Amino acid sequence: MAVDTRIAAQLRDVHHRFGEAGVLQDVALTVRSGEIVAIVGPSGCGKTTLLRIVAGLLRPSGGEVARPDSGVGFVFQEPALLAWRRVDSNARLLARGEDAIVNHLLTVSGLLEHRHKWPHELSGGMKMRLSLVRSLAARPDLLLLDEPFGALDQITRHRLHDEFGALHESEGFSALLVTHSIDEAVYLADRVLVMSSAPGRIVGEFAVPFPRPRSDDLRYSSEFAALVGNIARSLYRYAGDA
Amino acid sequence: MNEIRPPATPRNSTHRSPRLARLAPPLAVLGLVIAGWYGLAYSLDNNFASADGSALIIPPPHQLFVGLNAATVSRIASATWVSLGTAAVGLLLAILVGVLLGVAMSFSRSLESAFWPWLIAVQVTPVIVLTPIIVRVVGASFTARLIVTVLIAFFPIASNTLFGMRSVGRALHDVFTLAGASRWHRLIHLQLPAASPAIFAGLRVSAGLAVIGAVVGDFFFTRGTPGLGRLITFFFQDTRSGPMFVTALIAALIGLCFFVAVAALRRLLVSPWHRP
Repeated sequence: MAVDTRIAAQLRDVHHRFGEAGVLQDVALTVRSGEIVAIVGPSGCGKTTLLRIVAGLLRPSGGEVARPDSGVGFVFQEPALLAWRRVDSNARLLARGEDAIVNHLLTVSGLLEHRHKWPHELSGGMKMRLSLVRSLAARPDLLLLDEPFGALDQITRHRLHDEFGALHESEGFSALLVTHSIDEAVYLADRVLVMSSAPGRIVGEFAVPFPRPRSDDLRYSSEFAALVGNIARSLYRYAGDA
Repeated sequence: MNEIRPPATPRNSTHRSPRLARLAPPLAVLGLVIAGWYGLAYSLDNNFASADGSALIIPPPHQLFVGLNAATVSRIASATWVSLGTAAVGLLLAILVGVLLGVAMSFSRSLESAFWPWLIAVQVTPVIVLTPIIVRVVGASFTARLIVTVLIAFFPIASNTLFGMRSVGRALHDVFTLAGASRWHRLIHLQLPAASPAIFAGLRVSAGLAVIGAVVGDFFFTRGTPGLGRLITFFFQDTRSGPMFVTALIAALIGLCFFVAVAALRRLLVSPWHRP
């Protein structure tokens, strides 16, 4: 399906079933070029399934999916590193022969000095940074992120949020981020979509008006808290029996 | 894989005492075994009385080499060569067969369900009892020895390869799927490396089994150069206890060498990156 150059990904009428159970229903969403869109929803609402459909890892039961011809980057819940390759070699796994980019990404994420280490020698935050670097090294037009910061402690998580924001500024990719943290969604995204569970539907959309680059101070502002509160109310209304 | 490791010691420790402390318990057991050996030899052979080396039931450790003349040494040497060659080539073939079977079964559920019950059947059969049949069919040749060894040794590698290939996480597979990797690329760069710790765990078992297969299978070979198994029955029938013990010790040493070689290879290829 042809893609408007200003649109990174588009879903229309997507629905999906596993056996008898409807997982996704009438999902429509658009990620514009350069935009970060976050999806929040209760666990088990089909967020991961939706992301796998956007990636092309899963064919939906119905509906249309448009994604960049150049392929997408995917950052998983776990770092999914190759334990038998050193940091450097993991970072280059998906790169298309552009050494300078990988070195730049390794430097920006503070991994350059660790490049000869094995993955098991890295902290959880470092592993996630490496996973992000590996995806970005392929220069994807669209990056899909499936709760990538969920397993990290708060300090590391907030630090990675800022690094992710900086990478987005410099690399200019579009991103679709799935998370169960409303806080994280508001801090990182330009738009937040709210998903209901059983079946998963998009039930709300919130624009995030805060300018970039964003800093930690934003988290403690009343506007931030108000928006998080609005999204939370919308989310709880549709959360079902979770 | 659950692995039982000795407690870690600091890597750069050059002090002798910790190493000595680690070696002391097994050395103490060795001392007890040798003392028991002397006691048994003494009680059975009445104060080590027979000095000609032929009539001892059990020679004490210091008389092990009494009956070893040049002819006996050369018989033991050629038997060692036969058994060592059988075990080594047999193990290499077992690795090849085991990994290929494991990979094939991991690629196809129907292959797995077709093969698996028969692999179990071979595994639970004491393969030694098949040796006469194999000798009948292919003759008392090196090939027959290899078949026996491979049949005994391949299973742990096949099952562990299958297990290791299946244990690769979905996210890792997705990374390769999104990169458009071919099945071959996925096998070489993802599945086999990920399975290698499991394969090595199987290999450690198979290495011991290969030596058992090479030595014990040899009992049934009545023609050609004898291996260690048949040689030991010769010495047994001639009541030459000294050479019999030496032959047994050599078989044990071959097993130990295989074990050490596999451990060294694992330390080189897997240990640097693998944390269970």
